[in-house]
Amino acid sequence: MNNGTKDILLHLYDEATGAEDLRSLLRDEELRQEHAALSEAKFRLDHLKKERPDPFVLDAILAAAATGEGLPTSGQRMDRAALPVNRRLRKVVIPALSTAAVILFGVAVGQFSTNSGTSKPQDTAAMAVGPDDLVPPESLYRFVPPQQRPTPASKSDPRLAWDDAAPILGMHRRIQTLRPDGRLDWGEEAVPLESLPGNGPGRLQMTGTRSQ
Amino acid sequence: MAQTRLGQTALVAATPVVTFPYAIQLPLMHPADEALVARYVEEADQAAFRTLVERHQERVFSYLRGMVKDREVANDLFQETFYRVIRALHEERGSYTGQGKFLGWVLRIARNAALDHLRARKKWQDMGPDDETGQTGWWDRLPDDAPSALELVQGTEERDLLTACIDQLSPDQREVVLLRHASDLTFREISELTDCSINTALGRMRYALVNLRRMMEAARQNEHIAVSN
Repeated sequence: MNNGTKDILLHLYDEATGAEDLRSLLRDEELRQEHAALSEAKFRLDHLKKERPDPFVLDAILAAAATGEGLPTSGQRMDRAALPVNRRLRKVVIPALSTAAVILFGVAVGQFSTNSGTSKPQDTAAMAVGPDDLVPPESLYRFVPPQQRPTPASKSDPRLAWDDAAPILGMHRRIQTLRPDGRLDWGEEAVPLESLPGNGPGRLQMTGTRSQ
Repeated sequence: MAQTRLGQTALVAATPVVTFPYAIQLPLMHPADEALVARYVEEADQAAFRTLVERHQERVFSYLRGMVKDREVANDLFQETFYRVIRALHEERGSYTGQGKFLGWVLRIARNAALDHLRARKKWQDMGPDDETGQTGWWDRLPDDAPSALELVQGTEERDLLTACIDQLSPDQREVVLLRHASDLTFREISELTDCSINTALGRMRYALVNLRRMMEAARQNEHIAVSN
């Protein structure tokens, strides 16, 4: 609501002073229409019927004022019946249980944070961000027999350091043996088996020549 | 003058009484609220308390009646309001501090009683900010057993139609209309009572006037159509 409308309302309800202000406001066509519309509704509201309570209500109030009878004591609500027992119990038990749960949760969180605070951060594995970081900490090798502990891989070797375990290395060698020298891709023309590399241990051989 | 509408009686009592012989009687005939409260509390003057209740009964009861839309409930809340007033005055005047704001104090008690009642009946949940835009909440859009404003057009007087239209307003807008027109509070007093800014109170009143005008026009058009048919 802009200031003009606010001033119009205040003038309408005789809560603003200065007839000149109102005249200047009404020079604005929009505010003049607003004033006319609001005046019409306000005129009707000025004739709003006011009602009185029933006489017996006044009598009860005046009797209470004289004698104090019927007045509720402090803290007592007059418009509501007394709470039933189960509701009263609920009002006690539920908050108590909630409080206990919150306390337990707080204790658990405190215990957890205490334990986590005593562990040394250097014991945890750092996140690998570069090729060199992929080498696991030496502490992990305590699970591997000494004779099987691999040597760290060189930078030129594409294999990862943790692939150096003997079984994995053996599997890797076998895969390399099976792999042909020339790459074959899907869709290439078929080639005779003789053209594939062979004659070596573990190389592919024609079944007829295997016993030779 | 309008700013001190609540303390109207206090101003009357404080007016110099030198010109009219009748005016000498004026403070005695129209004592200020504060004086009446003092007489009731300190001297147990029951007539003073009766004067207080009778002086403000229309302002308080009309507000309650408009808020709860039920005369019987309004009677109960009116009685409860003044029971609380009596108790508070006996407890070293309770929260009443005088300064010509007796009606405002009583209306605050009445408002609390009305809100307690409405909350208990879960009718106050939709008092949201959307009332600023003139839109009513979900509760007001629910079917109501009471006849709508349009249904009341035929065979009802203008006042009844106006009352029905006020009942259709959102709770916020209805409250401002009632406090301004039924309880005669200023917008500043309304803003203090309802814990909002004066701009908010004015905004609610503006939307209330606009909505009332629309409703009355729609009702009149329907009446015209019904008569012509």
